This record gives sequence, C-alpha cells and structure tokens, in this order.
Amino acid sequence: MAIEVNGISKTYTGKKAVDNVSFTAEAGKALGLLGRNGAGKTTTIRILMNVIRPESGHVTLDGKPINYDKVRIGYLPEERGLYAKKEIFSQLVYFARLKGMERTDAGRSVDRWLERVGLAEYRNKKLETLSKGNQQKVQLITALAHDPQIIILDEPFSGLDPVNAMMLEEIVKEQIAQGKIVLFSSHQMNYIEEFCDDIVILNRGSRVLYGNLREIQRSYPRTKLLVRSDRADEIRAAYGDACRDYDRDLLEITLADAGEKQAAMARLVEQFSPDEIRVFEPSLNDIFIEYTQEAEETK
Amino acid sequence: MSRFRTVFGFELSSYLKNKVIIGVTIFLVLASAIMLSFPRFTQGVGSGTDTGASADRPVMLIIAGGEEETARMREVFAGAFPGYDVREAGVTAEEAQEQIRSGEAGCAFVFTAPDACTYYVDNLGMNDTAPRTAAAALQAERRRSGMIENGVAPEKADEILAGTVSVETVKLGKDQSFTFFYTYIMIFSLYMVILMYGQMIATNVANEKSSRTMELLVTSVNTNAMIFGKVLASCLVGFLQLGVIFGSSILFFNLNKEFWTGNAIISSIFNPPPALLLHLLLFFFLGFLVYAFLYGAVGSTVSRLEDANTAVMPVTMLFMISFFLVFIPLASGDVESTLMKICSFVPFTSPMAMFTRIGMSSVPPIEIAISVMILALSALLIGFLSARIYRAGVLLYGVKPTPAQIISMLKKEKQA
Repeated sequence: MAIEVNGISKTYTGKKAVDNVSFTAEAGKALGLLGRNGAGKTTTIRILMNVIRPESGHVTLDGKPINYDKVRIGYLPEERGLYAKKEIFSQLVYFARLKGMERTDAGRSVDRWLERVGLAEYRNKKLETLSKGNQQKVQLITALAHDPQIIILDEPFSGLDPVNAMMLEEIVKEQIAQGKIVLFSSHQMNYIEEFCDDIVILNRGSRVLYGNLREIQRSYPRTKLLVRSDRADEIRAAYGDACRDYDRDLLEITLADAGEKQAAMARLVEQFSPDEIRVFEPSLNDIFIEYTQEAEETK
Repeated sequence: MSRFRTVFGFELSSYLKNKVIIGVTIFLVLASAIMLSFPRFTQGVGSGTDTGASADRPVMLIIAGGEEETARMREVFAGAFPGYDVREAGVTAEEAQEQIRSGEAGCAFVFTAPDACTYYVDNLGMNDTAPRTAAAALQAERRRSGMIENGVAPEKADEILAGTVSVETVKLGKDQSFTFFYTYIMIFSLYMVILMYGQMIATNVANEKSSRTMELLVTSVNTNAMIFGKVLASCLVGFLQLGVIFGSSILFFNLNKEFWTGNAIISSIFNPPPALLLHLLLFFFLGFLVYAFLYGAVGSTVSRLEDANTAVMPVTMLFMISFFLVFIPLASGDVESTLMKICSFVPFTSPMAMFTRIGMSSVPPIEIAISVMILALSALLIGFLSARIYRAGVLLYGVKPTPAQIISMLKKEKQA
C-alpha cells in the first residue's frame, strides 16, 4: 500500500502555499515531511486529508483516488484540540466512532490505549484536569484508537517529557512495524532521522529535496574530515584555509579529492594524535539548513 | 448516515447535560406552577375573611350640595360601584382629600353642580374606569329624573332605561380576542428558543474552532453530517424543553382548572386548536433550522470564543427585525396586511408571519404549502452552505473574515 501525492498546488490570496509537490509514502515505512514555518507542510497535510482541495494535482492510494469514507486515517494535528470540558473516555469513543468504529469496538480500543499510555485511571475525568503532556497523550489516542491504515503525525513530540517521548517512540515504531503508512512532520530532526526512511523538504511551497535519507546523506562528497584534538591551533596552522571550526570541539578539514582521505587521516593521526577523527557525513539538520537556506538565497 | 447519528447522539447527550438548559427548564416549570396555582391560594385566603363586611372594600366618599342630594347620589353610586363601600362624606372637599392621602378613603366624588362632579383619587391607575362609570351612572340618573319630572311613572322610567338592544356576532373566521393570546405565546416561545439555542450553537462551534477541535472533526467526518447532527440535536432538545414546560403548564392548569373558569383568556391559551399546534411544530422546526444553521456558520468564522458574541450580532439582528416585523401586526390585529403577506413567504420571517396568519386569520392552504416549501428548501440550502462555511472555518484563523472573503473562499473551493 502506498499513498501518492502527485503535483499538488494550492494558492492563498495570490501566494502559492504549495507548488507542484509530489512524493510517495509507502506502507511499513515512515516519511518525514520537513520545512520551515510557512513552507506548506500543513497545507500539504490538509490536502492529503481532503480538508482542502488542490487547484491542480491529486492524491491517490495505490493508484486510485482515496475513498475517505473507507480508508482509515489517523491524524495528530500540530495545533492540538479536544473538548476540554468533556470526559476523556466519552470523547475518545466519539472520535473513534466518527472514524467508522462500532461503539463497543471503539470503547474496547480506547480502554486498551488508555491503559497503554498510563491514563486508565483518568478515564472518566474531564480532559482539562490533565497536565499538558497527558492531554497530548489523549490526543495521540484520537489518532490511533481506530486502527488507522495511514497515520499523519504533525509535531508529535512537542510538549512531551523524555519518558513520554520514549513511550511515543515505541508506539510509532510499532505502528511502522505493523505495516502502516506513517507521515511524520517535525522540526526535531533527531526523531526524523530515527524513524524516517524517506524525507521530503519543502521550502516556500516547493519541494526542494526528496528521497531516501541514507542515500541523500551518502550522496555528499566525502571530502571533509572532522577532527577533535587538544592541538587544534597546530592543526589550523598546518592546514590554513582548508581548515575551519565545525563547532566548539571539532575542526573541519576539506580535502581536494575524496581519494586522499585515508592518507590524510593517517597523516593527522601521526602528526597530532587526535582524540577523534572521522569522515564528515551531513546530519539531517545540516541538509535541512543547506536546502532551506540555499533555496531562500536563490529567491 | 451512521456518522450523522454519532454526531447527533453526542450533541444530544451534551445538550441534555447542559446545566443552563436544565436550570432554565426547572425555573420555567416552577414559574408556571406558581403562576397557575396562584388563584387557588388567593381565593382560598379570600374566602376565609370575606364575611360581607364593608371593611375589605375601598371607601368612596360622596359630597354633594345638601344632605338629601348627597344621600340620593350615594344611592346612585352604591348601585354603580358594588366593589366600593360608598359613604356620605359628612366632611368638606379638603378634608376628603386629606382622608384619601392618609389612606382612610380610596376616592371621592365631589359635586360642584348638579350635573358636574370632580373625582379625587391618590394614584390614578392605568385602567381606572371610575370616572366613566360615574358619568354613565349620573347620565342614567339624569334621564330617569327627567322622565319622572315629565310625568313618566318611576317604574316605567326604570323599565325604559333597563331595556337593551342585542347585537349578535357570528364569526365566520377566527376570534382574534382569543387567538391573540395563544398565537402570541407560541411566537414568543419560538423567539426565545431560537435565540437561546442559536447562541448556544454558535458558542459550541466557536469553542470547537478556538480549541482547534474543529481540525480533528473536519478530518474525521463529512461536515454536512457534522452541522446537521449538531443543529438537529439542538432542535430536538428545544422541542423537548418546550414540551416539558408546556406539558407541565397544562398539568398545573388542569389541577387548578376550577379556579380559572372565569378567565376566558387563560382558558383559551390552554385550548388551542390541534391543527394550529401541528402548524406550530412544522414552522418551529423549519424556522429553527434556518436560524440555527446561520448561527452555526457564523460560529465557525471566529477564531476566539470571546468574538462569538459580536460575530452573531448580524444574525441576531436579522432575527429580531423579523420578529418585530411580525410582532407589530400581531399586536394590532392587522395580520392580513401586504407586509405580512410578503413576510409569509420570506424564509427569515415566514416561520413567524405565516404562523401568526394561520393562528389569527384564515389562510388558503395553497399559500401555507408554498410558504412551507420555500422555507424547507431554504433551510436545506442554508444547511449545506453552513456545512461548507464550517469546513472553510478551519482555514480562517486570525483576523475575522469579511462576508466577501468567505464567499470568495467558498467559490475557490468549489472550483478546485
């Protein structure tokens, strides 16, 4: 099963919110949808969810138009929202039933999820009595209780403490392992790197990068070395312009040719006995900044 | 359909647990119980003390020129004012006024000439008919004296004056003096229920929007099912509430029926024609839908709950103007004016205008059918439009959109 987004475009008040964006999200994999604020992620998700219609392009599931009444989609919106003054159990059952579940199945599933996230004791309490993190967990149940085939998680980790974030990580991994299509939008790059096989980076409504994350990372020329050493000043002096500070601890040395890297590493070890030395491979954060800044500068 | 039932059930249970609705219903049931049982208590108290003593009745003082004339006038006034303890004053006009001010006497008639007198009273009531009653009594007395002076025997004079002319009225249509009250009560109930539930729907939707629950709702369910479920649930609760209030009023009226036998108005309120009740249900239902959908649509255009009250103002104004357009002819009885006829076919006024005409006049069935058809169609169209505005509402955050912006957004969505 795969959901295909084909060339979708949407304009708001003369400004292209999404411009000819295409990508495919496959079952059993997570796709990371990235972009700066206002890049068009939410509009893309809303088009995917059929809340708004694109001016051009279309969304298909296994090549056919999506029947939104039949396909089960779980959505965790970035702007969380539930009925603050209603009981947790009754509103969770309501949302599961709106997504097509029978009352008894919905009740059982909600109880199972409340147990799973450690909120069973609050079952009959009003939502407003819970802490923000716990409300976030209740919100997550609305996205998962009806056993969706497609899961869209928009900033799922915001507001969660490390323990709850770990629990959510486990849940997301389980869902991926169960063969669900998971679409993941977040600014926390470490989570995207951990879960997502594929990424799409949007900038000002356009797709600026799309593909398998590992392949993208490997596609960078391996001409840079990162070195950590107490003798940083000596290394700087030895390499001149080819050396710059990567961060507080690391120096970045640019080589003329990737073929030199083994010899260059051996030389560095011999001359300066560094604590750490490795070939530079860009993190998702580096890639994200590069593509969103680069695209910005070319505008 | 199952999604509609889910929304309907959820909203219904929310409304039935709503403390404002429960509170208002209990208050109105208690108020009607007290009001309708009132004569039972007042008459009960009255019968214990009413021994025929004149002390209970207000004192009316008569002052005329000379003792004999005063006695004759007292007799005339005693006949005309059985509710008063009519006394020969035996005091001057100034002293009589003092007695009225101190509360010793209720009022006084002071004759300044055989044919002219002055009425003294402390606070003149809005419906004080004493001067007119006095004038009629004096007029009759004057005629009687005149006839006697001209040789007519007193018995004959009394017989002539007692003679009455009867004019019989046969009503072919409706008697507005009776239909007015129940039509008024029904129209007013419709007004109150639409205003109360309309505001509630708008607040409910605005709350969903401001809490961002709407985003989850529109991605879970068709907005037609959403808005129709919400509005029909509130409509059913409105019906139930009116049913409980009117049902308990009928019960309390029947429990106290014997104390209301003399009151034709109250009796008429509790005996409306069954056909009119059916028309009430029909026009109430359709009228409620038209306005409730509008309130729902307006609620989805605001971003913050605090803005809901100002956002609903145009709908409330439209409704109030419609109400007064109908209420004024209803109060004056001129329900067949051209304006009322036009209002009977305009969906915003027809629930009240056509219902008023049906209640207080005779309307051809074809006109009723056309009015119902226009109203039903409009309710449906406004419902679908409201569902689309609700859906577009998810995108309308920040500054409150103008109607033109909403229309252009809906057009674009349709084209796309």
